[in-house]
Amino acid sequence: MGDAIVANSLGKRFRRYHPDRPRTFKQALVSGVRHLRPAEQVTVLEDVSFSVAPGRMLGVIGRNGAGKSTLLRLVGGIGRPDTGSVRTHGRIGALLDLGAGFHPDLTGRENVFVIGVIAGLTRRDVAARFDAIVAFAELEQAIDSPLRTYSSGMQMRLAFAVAAYTDPEILLIDEVLAVGDLAFQKKCLERIATFRSLGCAIMLVSHDPAQVRQLCDDVLWLRNGRVAAHGAAEVVVGQYVAEVGQETRHRTPADLPVQLTASGAELRMNETRFGSLELEITGLRLLDAHGRSTDTIPSGAALSVQIDFVAQQSIPAPIAGVTIRNDAGVTCLDMSTAATGHVLPTVEGRVRAVLHIERLDLARGHYFVDIGIYEQHWAYAYDYHWHVYPLEISAPFQDNGILSPPHSWEVYRPHGPEGSGPAEAVVLDAGSGHTA
Amino acid sequence: MIFPAIPGASYRRRLFYLRDLVHELVARDIKVRYKRSVLGVAWALVTPLAQLLVFSFIFRLVLPTRVPNYAPFTFCGLLVWTWFQTSVLLSAVAIVDNRELIRRPGFPAAILPLVTVSTNFVYFLVALPVLLVVVLASGIQVTPAILAMPLVMALQFLFTLCLAYLVATLHVTFRDTQHVLGLFLMLLFYLTPVFYDAASVPERFRLLYSLNPMVHLVGAYRTILLQGSLPALLPILVLGIVGTVGLRLALAIFSRASDQFVEEI
Repeated sequence: MGDAIVANSLGKRFRRYHPDRPRTFKQALVSGVRHLRPAEQVTVLEDVSFSVAPGRMLGVIGRNGAGKSTLLRLVGGIGRPDTGSVRTHGRIGALLDLGAGFHPDLTGRENVFVIGVIAGLTRRDVAARFDAIVAFAELEQAIDSPLRTYSSGMQMRLAFAVAAYTDPEILLIDEVLAVGDLAFQKKCLERIATFRSLGCAIMLVSHDPAQVRQLCDDVLWLRNGRVAAHGAAEVVVGQYVAEVGQETRHRTPADLPVQLTASGAELRMNETRFGSLELEITGLRLLDAHGRSTDTIPSGAALSVQIDFVAQQSIPAPIAGVTIRNDAGVTCLDMSTAATGHVLPTVEGRVRAVLHIERLDLARGHYFVDIGIYEQHWAYAYDYHWHVYPLEISAPFQDNGILSPPHSWEVYRPHGPEGSGPAEAVVLDAGSGHTA
Repeated sequence: MIFPAIPGASYRRRLFYLRDLVHELVARDIKVRYKRSVLGVAWALVTPLAQLLVFSFIFRLVLPTRVPNYAPFTFCGLLVWTWFQTSVLLSAVAIVDNRELIRRPGFPAAILPLVTVSTNFVYFLVALPVLLVVVLASGIQVTPAILAMPLVMALQFLFTLCLAYLVATLHVTFRDTQHVLGLFLMLLFYLTPVFYDAASVPERFRLLYSLNPMVHLVGAYRTILLQGSLPALLPILVLGIVGTVGLRLALAIFSRASDQFVEEI
């Protein structure tokens, strides 16, 4: 038996239309039909070739917009390549868009039949696997309730369970492995491993180099729609990680004089400061709950991180990120505008961004606030300040570990049957240590 | 092959699969629409019955017509028209409303307009017994000619499906297709003998008037149900041929466009 997936110098262009392209008959009547044809074509994939044998798993990595998802779709037969060809042998299963076809008003049972059939099973197939699907999703109790009563985790479990029972010979996965809780994720990964041992060819698209290195045999690295590297997972992921780090270092100008921050700390290029400096962070202030500048706050208090930066030319949709690390270099907190889906506008000139943290339940200790402004696809940093801004968290007592949320202890001797509550409670209030 | 094939499946299995797919999607649409109402599928009858009431009031009391058995006459026209109009109107959004299905590997996009037409066919079938009751209550004899009904339904299905594919294709590019279509269908409604008799159309307009296929379909249903005889063969034959050729054409247009659906929606 040959390869399950064979792609031969695949190419795909997307048509980009004129902004005045009529979208309705009304507009077409008013402005005419001259902009109906695409104005230009954007190459998304070019000359991509690879093959996947049964029982092998190919990872696809690359930055946002590198063409990963487009590639996966073409393999799934969605859309047609402009050049080259892709051939597949076997039934295709896909974990692209879990929950597609779900309807909230139908019961779990009815939904299983609908999405099972959509996934390529006949009704008889679904009926035969129904019990196994429900058992896999661990939803025996809820299966006859309407789907709208399910939590999102339950819905995802049901969707994965149906997909898991379609017996695919080719499986396409698009970053959906973050399904539900950890235990269920483990179950999903085990299921995928089973498929593989049964000879299923798998393609996994992921942002996460660590996951790809762990799961895949081979890796295809896409850069701007072209194959940057293709080979054993260890090697290609290593190259990829190296390049992403290098990109920032490469763009960091080395001959800039040492600058001082407002608090007097030194900013040395390539030591505490990295980035292309197309956009420069000019100041950082840590503000307490009353808006006063500070570098010490009590544990559990509010903290605002105010970043001033200036862009010499206009910079589209940069990403701002704030990371708090402790003495040992452990990342305690990592927040960015991209993670919460905030898209910054195009910036030019002086801009101020403020991150408000409602409460910071970190344990007592010394921390650093590291800040960075990044290119819109995380390609490299414009300006990144590392280990420059200290933050002191104060608390009346020391907790081992990173977090110190408000807490108390309750100790008592239970009476009678379980759950009858504290009869003679001895509450040992440890004191939360917060100044609230 | 009209539908993109699931690799490795035999033709027979594929046919079974498509039948199941239509079945499930039609059942989904119907369940979703009527699940939370007491009347259930009987809701499908509400609109035509209300229209029947209004038309009966106007054309029996306000502007009396000569049409005998006005209630079964108009109800028949209304049911036939409702199936046609709703199918075409909803086909416009069949693709856009199901974008997540279109983006699934192996999902046959061409099934969606078929599902829309089939769903509304089910509502038509549900209303059919009520029409029969109205016919019998008016003292009309039902004859074996009624056995020809499935053929007429098949023709209407074919003709509606042609339009459904064209409309669905058009809507991906022009998002106001449904509005324009609403206007077009309203005009066509008046040009179809739903609440009046085609025989009252003046002779000199007759040829132009009969270019509307719905004229012949509505007429055929009435000949079978109200006159108890078989409909004229020629229009049926022409409709059959035009419908078959038209469906191939409409499907070809749809298939050409469907590769771009993924990028457009």
